[in-house]
Amino acid sequence: MSEVVLELNDVAFRHQIPSPRLLNPFEKKPGPGIFSINLTIHKGQILGLVGPNGAGKTTLLRMLAGIFPIDKGNIMFAKSNSLDLAKISQTDLRSIVGHMPEQVRWQGKISVRNALTDIAEMRDATHRVDGILKMVGLGDIANSSLDQLSQGMRQRLTLATALLGSPKVLLLDEPFNGLDPVAIRAFEKLLYQLTAKGVSIVISSHRVAGMVHLVDRLALLHQGQLLIEGTLHDIETEFDLSNRIEIAGKGQIPNFERITGNEDSVIESNESDGNWSVILRSTDDHILKKLVQSDHHILSCKSKEIDIVEMLCAATGQNLDEIGFGVIASSMMPYRSRGEEE
Amino acid sequence: MSDFNKINIISLTYFKRRLLSTRMVIMLPILILFIPGMAWGFSDPNIVLPGGVQPSSATEVMFYTSLGIVFGGTMCGVLLSFDGVSKDRASGVLEIKLSQPMLRKQQSTAIILGHWFSILVPTWILWLISFIIVNYRIGDWPSLMDGIISFSAVALILLWYVLFSLVASTYAKEQGTSIAFGVGVWFLFTFLWALVTTMVAFASGVSIGEENDPKWVNLEGLLDLFSPNGVFHHLLETRLEDVDRGVSPILSFLAALLWSIIPWYWFNSRMENIQP
Repeated sequence: MSEVVLELNDVAFRHQIPSPRLLNPFEKKPGPGIFSINLTIHKGQILGLVGPNGAGKTTLLRMLAGIFPIDKGNIMFAKSNSLDLAKISQTDLRSIVGHMPEQVRWQGKISVRNALTDIAEMRDATHRVDGILKMVGLGDIANSSLDQLSQGMRQRLTLATALLGSPKVLLLDEPFNGLDPVAIRAFEKLLYQLTAKGVSIVISSHRVAGMVHLVDRLALLHQGQLLIEGTLHDIETEFDLSNRIEIAGKGQIPNFERITGNEDSVIESNESDGNWSVILRSTDDHILKKLVQSDHHILSCKSKEIDIVEMLCAATGQNLDEIGFGVIASSMMPYRSRGEEE
Repeated sequence: MSDFNKINIISLTYFKRRLLSTRMVIMLPILILFIPGMAWGFSDPNIVLPGGVQPSSATEVMFYTSLGIVFGGTMCGVLLSFDGVSKDRASGVLEIKLSQPMLRKQQSTAIILGHWFSILVPTWILWLISFIIVNYRIGDWPSLMDGIISFSAVALILLWYVLFSLVASTYAKEQGTSIAFGVGVWFLFTFLWALVTTMVAFASGVSIGEENDPKWVNLEGLLDLFSPNGVFHHLLETRLEDVDRGVSPILSFLAALLWSIIPWYWFNSRMENIQP
């Protein structure tokens, strides 16, 4: 495994929410936040943050960006040429991290170049402005005003601000919003180039399907807690989502219990208009051969692709068929207790 | 780059943006009308003010011209800085700025200086032009000390209003609240303070508006220490020989110091804890 760049040890932060009382109308109390997060960010790897709305993804990213203070725990950083981790201050953290917030509405009559220069001045990076504008594809419109930018171009400008300080860790909050498919592909290519240079990337996105091929590791968050973190394969194995095969065919649906010798092998099956499809849990490499030998008409047979939504549902205890718009439901209780109750 | 240079550069950016904004183009005629315009009017050799007062020296004329600062300069200061933080916060740019490796205290100092200078520079230029107009009209210059106090007082009152607006801007999450707070504070001290003074005088049993009653004059002078406009006039009055409202110059300077430090500290602490 590659070396650790940042390590979060029992990190916690809670938003202060108004709790007015007669004697103190301005009183606040701790509200939602993130609780005792332990996480490592590896050099040159992409970590995906996934969770339902309100899980704490943006809060975690803002803590990593040094915007939110740390109520408890600490963040450790491996300085260059050293594998030893040392505590890092918020200002130092901000100097090694590039943060791309979600949906920045750049507006005004100032030019794209000047807007980026304003931010670059805060990092002593004005000399990098033109190069970075070119890198994110805004070189040709550097003199256009912010009001002329489309949503996708605004996203690129936000990314440019994150890249200004040659960050060691890049934090991306919903970076694909507003980008067209071609731009998304170019964006992903840029991310791979950055990781090849040793930049670590933490990416939070609701485009979970698109995350599968992008991320090296995944962290599932729910109600401010880190449910699990690891490679996609690790998480699949943890939630018993691995070794699944999708088979589709025509005619009579085979008796898979008999073929596989396992009564619980069929996870899901559908039949309609003489066609059938099943999802099996099986480690048998010869299942296709067995089906063909028993004269079944097979249309397709493939490994079931990794589905992050399924992982999320498995982690939160939610049933995939019963997903609703409810943000917090009793069926979405955390995996483990917060250890910090009201 | 040193921290000092960084603050300078960032504040210069804010300064340029505000100075060259559409808002400034709209407000400049107001400033010209209120400051050199008033200086022209008050320096008329034949002018007789209410109560039969006739300004006789350049310092006295500039004292009356300071009304232009109170009515025009401060309002422009508020309108320039009411969205100093809230605009960036609403658009999401504040989150980017807060994630930069620059101390929040330094960022807040740059915001204050940038906004303050953007109203101070044009106002000071117009104030200087007013001195020249007064000299042209009555052939008198204020003394060097009168000039220094006058320019300093103008700078301070503008700073105070910029700070109030910026503090309001850190609380407001949309522009409406921000401008309502800024203009509200301006309205309170510019128009309603007389009402506050009257109410306190009434409650204290002091006859209201009796300019010859030392009790009224002293009470009004004392209450003016709690208003930025009042302190501004106290500072200017330190250079007028025939004005005594029972407030010593030291108290006036101390009040000016407190009016500068408290909102500055307030704004800094708001910025330290602000969340995008």
